[in-house]
Amino acid sequence: MQGSKSKLTYSEGLTTPITFIAAVLIFAIFTPNHIFINPRNLGSIAKLTPDLGIVALGIGILMICGEFDLSIASVLPFCAYIFTLFVKNGMNPFVGYLILLPIGAAFGLFNGVLVVSTGLPSFIITLSTMMFWRGLLYGVSHMMPISILRYVPSESFFARMLIGQVGPIPVQVIWFIGFALLLGLILHRHKLGNWIFATGSNPQAARAMGINTAMVKIVCYMIIGVLCAFVSVMQSVRLGSFAATQGIGFELKAIAAVVVGGASLRGGVGRMLSIFLGVFIIQIVENGLILMQVPVFGVETFIGIAVVVFVILNNFLYRQASR
Amino acid sequence: MSSTDTSSNPLLRMEGIHKWFGKVHALEGVDFQVDKAEAVGLVGDNGAGKSTLIKVVSGYHRASKGKIFFENKEVKINSPKDARALGVETVYQEQALALHLSISRNIFMGREPSKTLGFLAKKVMDEESMDALSSIGLKLRSPDIPVATLSGGERQGVAIARALHFEAKLVILDEPTMALSVKEVQEVLDFVRELKNKGIAVIFITHNLHHVYTVSDRIFVLVHGKKLTDISTKDTTVDELSKIIVRGTMGEKTLKEEGIE
Repeated sequence: MQGSKSKLTYSEGLTTPITFIAAVLIFAIFTPNHIFINPRNLGSIAKLTPDLGIVALGIGILMICGEFDLSIASVLPFCAYIFTLFVKNGMNPFVGYLILLPIGAAFGLFNGVLVVSTGLPSFIITLSTMMFWRGLLYGVSHMMPISILRYVPSESFFARMLIGQVGPIPVQVIWFIGFALLLGLILHRHKLGNWIFATGSNPQAARAMGINTAMVKIVCYMIIGVLCAFVSVMQSVRLGSFAATQGIGFELKAIAAVVVGGASLRGGVGRMLSIFLGVFIIQIVENGLILMQVPVFGVETFIGIAVVVFVILNNFLYRQASR
Repeated sequence: MSSTDTSSNPLLRMEGIHKWFGKVHALEGVDFQVDKAEAVGLVGDNGAGKSTLIKVVSGYHRASKGKIFFENKEVKINSPKDARALGVETVYQEQALALHLSISRNIFMGREPSKTLGFLAKKVMDEESMDALSSIGLKLRSPDIPVATLSGGERQGVAIARALHFEAKLVILDEPTMALSVKEVQEVLDFVRELKNKGIAVIFITHNLHHVYTVSDRIFVLVHGKKLTDISTKDTTVDELSKIIVRGTMGEKTLKEEGIE
């Protein structure tokens, strides 16, 4: 009896890798001329995915501890805007970057303190902060893109550090893998990670055992803030400018990636490796469907269906394992 | 109704404990004590204040008024951490287990042994959790299995093993046999006997007088936040206790009005 239970619990971790392989195979076979696996296409996927991916890692950690953050869609472009102002005013981009990271953390701190002190659903709180920062950003930037090529030319070390190539591999992917490893180690092998899982799985138990669940949540929000700041510059350098539309749609795509990556919407469950693959799955599906000339709204519909299917699947597997 | 001869050197002594929640007077001047290696059953009907009383001991609530003495020294228990530092471990009704987490992660929740920079000492966690489980006679396959896959009785075992591992001097069990099968109830009662064998004091809250009667040395009855009686189990029976509780809860006057004897 216990043997079959353990088989099912392990299968929880298999759904995402299986889906990843399936998605790659399906699009490799069915896109016209197998264009999906054309090295240029794969290269473009590799360059784009880390933008969403790095932030999604943080969203995944936050969801494991039981909360949501929709504000990334606005915090990200806001950080990009601040960075642009820094370099336009003559600041060294490295210095600007170093100052921007704690600013990102401050955005996260703001979210975290609001969520923890009001006790209101984080979905609502961060929806509000998302709209607040977006409004503010539109007000100060008037939606105008600002070129930063002059300050961060593409041959500069700064640019190459963020968006260069190491042989055939875009540097962004290396950053993505690096963050996934670091955050994965913290989540799965560190005390804080245990506190994060405990807070998401049973916050009352966690508190009864002396874990400061409020601090844990705030830390998770701050991690997301730093990741947003990091990605905002990576994105701006790749685009060559600040664009107020940076990060748009990330808030829902990140949740989709995390759910496809096997995390539960209710918290307490999740694996860093699966979240890492989940982001790729979302990006691959988007890319593959476009290559198959599915109309744009079809892509979003498909992702929506995939999320529902995975929520149901994850739930089912969990309940099977607990029987 | 004879009161028991309580020891003059109790492990835990609570004097004149009051607790208000807003206007609700949940505990009214309760005097309570437990000795080493003694099991006290804390009984009373719903709303009597049993949970509130033990939450004061375990640091979840702060007493509004009154004194607490542990090992004859006056103490202030302002948080679960304070309680645990004294050696008071609580096994809550909801078990305080995170179902998605493994056995070893649950046992060490909030008190994880760590190597440099706070990384978990997994080997230590795994070995010590298995030791903790076997010390109360609970045989489980591996420390990595999620607690969700365990039966109700096994989950209680894990929660009790956790209390034991951290060298509790006093273990409080809040409704530990709730919703358990007959076999599982016996397992939990056996765990309680193991605790007593190790010299650990136990407070056992329950509605089920039969369960608590078999393992307790004394029964403490709470009614509407006040102590009704504190009696040795050998001086009473389950039936008598049941009558005492019903009378106490309904009040003598109401009983006469309803024509009940």
